Parts: sequence; C-alpha cells; structure tokens
Amino acid sequence: MEPASSDPQSAYRAYGPALVRKAERILRSREDAFDLVHALFVDLIPRWSKDVDLPYLYRAITNRCLNALRDRNTRVRLLAHEPHAAAPLARVELEDEVVGLRLIASLADRLDESHLEVLVCRFIDDMTQEEIAEHLKLSRKTIGKRLDRIRDEVLALRKERAS
Amino acid sequence: MTCIDTPISWLRLERFALDGADAKIAAHVAVCPACGRCLDEVRRDVVALPPLAVPAKAARPWWHFAVPAFALAAAALLLLVWPRDRHRDDVVRVKGVGEVILGIVRERDGVVRDDATTFLPHDRFKIVLTCPPAASAWVDVDIGGDHPLAPTRVACGNRVVVPGAFHLTGTAPNRICVRIDAKTAPDGDAPAACLTVRPE
Repeated sequence: MEPASSDPQSAYRAYGPALVRKAERILRSREDAFDLVHALFVDLIPRWSKDVDLPYLYRAITNRCLNALRDRNTRVRLLAHEPHAAAPLARVELEDEVVGLRLIASLADRLDESHLEVLVCRFIDDMTQEEIAEHLKLSRKTIGKRLDRIRDEVLALRKERAS
Repeated sequence: MTCIDTPISWLRLERFALDGADAKIAAHVAVCPACGRCLDEVRRDVVALPPLAVPAKAARPWWHFAVPAFALAAAALLLLVWPRDRHRDDVVRVKGVGEVILGIVRERDGVVRDDATTFLPHDRFKIVLTCPPAASAWVDVDIGGDHPLAPTRVACGNRVVVPGAFHLTGTAPNRICVRIDAKTAPDGDAPAACLTVRPE
C-alpha cells in the first residue's frame, strides 16, 4: 500500500522524492525540480483533499514543468545548464531520438498543453498508451491521435532543421 | 538501454518502490536490466527535501477592510439622500385616469419636432398626451390663464393628439399646462402637467 496522503506534510515526505525525480527528468535540473515540487505542495495546502495521490501529483508536476518551459527566460537558463546534467536513462524513444529538454522546449512552441502532456507521459515517464489513457482519463484513440500529431511535429521540426 | 518487453513506467516503478506490492513488476525487473536499473536508480536516489514551509498568511493592511467598508457606507448614504422619485412637471397622476404624461409637437416651416423647447411667433404647437389606454380624460390647455383650445375629452393611449393647434407669442417663456379631470371639463383646481417653452 502507498503511504496515506491524509495531510500535505506526510504526502510531501512520501511522494516528494518521486516528484523531484520526475521533474528533474524533464527539466534536467534538480534545483528547479525542488523548487517546483515545493511550490506545488505550498499551493495545494489550502485546498488539500484526501484524493490527492501520486498519479494526481504526477500530472500536476508535469504541468508545472511545462509551464516553466514556456517561460522564455527559464527555458534559456535550463537549456544552458542541460549539457552539464547527467543524461537520464532512456527506454522509450521518439523517432529514434531520446526525448530531452531541448526537444520538449522546441515542441513547446508547436504543441498545446494537452499534446505536451501526452509527450511527457509517453517519452519521459515511459507510460504505455493504455496507461496514459487511464492516467489522463482519455480514450486510447485520443492518445493515439495525439501521439501521431507529436510525431508529425517532430518530423516537421527535423525537416526545418535540415533545410 | 532497451527493455526486454514493455517498459515499466516511472510512475509504476515509483509506486512499486513505495509499496513493493505488484508481483508483475517484481518479476519484470528481476529479468529486465533496463527496468531493473531504473528501479535501482529510484531506490538509490537520496532526495533531501527542504522542509515544507507553509508561508504564514500576511497580515492584511488596514485599508483592505476599510476600502470596502467606506464604499458600502458611501453607497448607503447615497441611497438615503438620493431623491427616490424625482418630480417631473410634465407628469401628473389623476384620479380615475392614472398617470398622464404631457408632450408637445412643434411645426415650423413644415418641419415637425417633438423635442422642441423653444418657439418663434409663427410656430404651430399641438398637445400630445400619454395615459393608460383603458381610460379617458377631459383636458383643458392653460397657458398663463389663456385657453387656446376648447376643453375636450380624449381617449387615452400612447401620444394621443389633443384636437386643435395654437401659436405662442411674446418674449417671455410660456408655461403650457394641461389640466386633466376624469369626469368633467377641468377647472382651475384640477391637476395639471406642464412644460415650459422659451422664445428664441
């Protein structure tokens, strides 16, 4: 059984490390991951509910990371820091490419939040399509369509870079 | 690094690291080097979380409460001093008829206006009345004691034209009053609706 999430402090202690690791996989910066996880819990405290569990927090921290990447200054800073960060273990690739900060940052201008969330679930969190569908409470067909769109955008991006 | 089958997602690995309950994951990581290494990474990672400091609620400045209170007080004061039913000279309530609104129509060189407030000697004026449609009223036009039109009875409605027209003369403003009565030709004590028309 997972630890109870009856109060923010115990949930923070139980789930905080998992969320930091996840945010770090996206942002490639542990300091920024700490900040985002801490800020997430601070914001959740006033409206804490016993329904808050690890999957819920996983989604929340994904959105926080994507918002951080949308901020131009943060993005520039993270990209400058990226080469010094250790490469994460990659098990799922997108068109023979490991999805990293640079690719997500490039796609952030071409895809909306819903597609980026699927991108993170599939290629950063290594979820299957079924798992993503359950996690995001969407149909598998919708997830498939979004993944197709993501692949199209990656291919378009590559063409642009090549030309 | 490639998984031997379908990679176990990080979320499932994290949950497994917390409770170790899923036998399928245990079996998979036992034989899959890629997922096993990911699980090892989760287990070996030391995350020194900073304390979850709950920011104390900042004391609200005094004006945070004072501004709405002042606004509320001002609104209440305004409600008290504001005249609820501003008196209009051109509107009169007559027993047996209801509310009567006086209007005038001016015709000057073929141009008709119903918003005129001035006159020239050759202008023609007509009286229009608005009163509840079911009623009828006796009306008498009184301009400073002159009665340019004979008292007459009109069926009420929206902007009903009183038969007859008149001219205004002189260099002083003319106060046009229409006295109204429900049953008989109005006398000087009957309620009246009035408008003032000034010379140009």
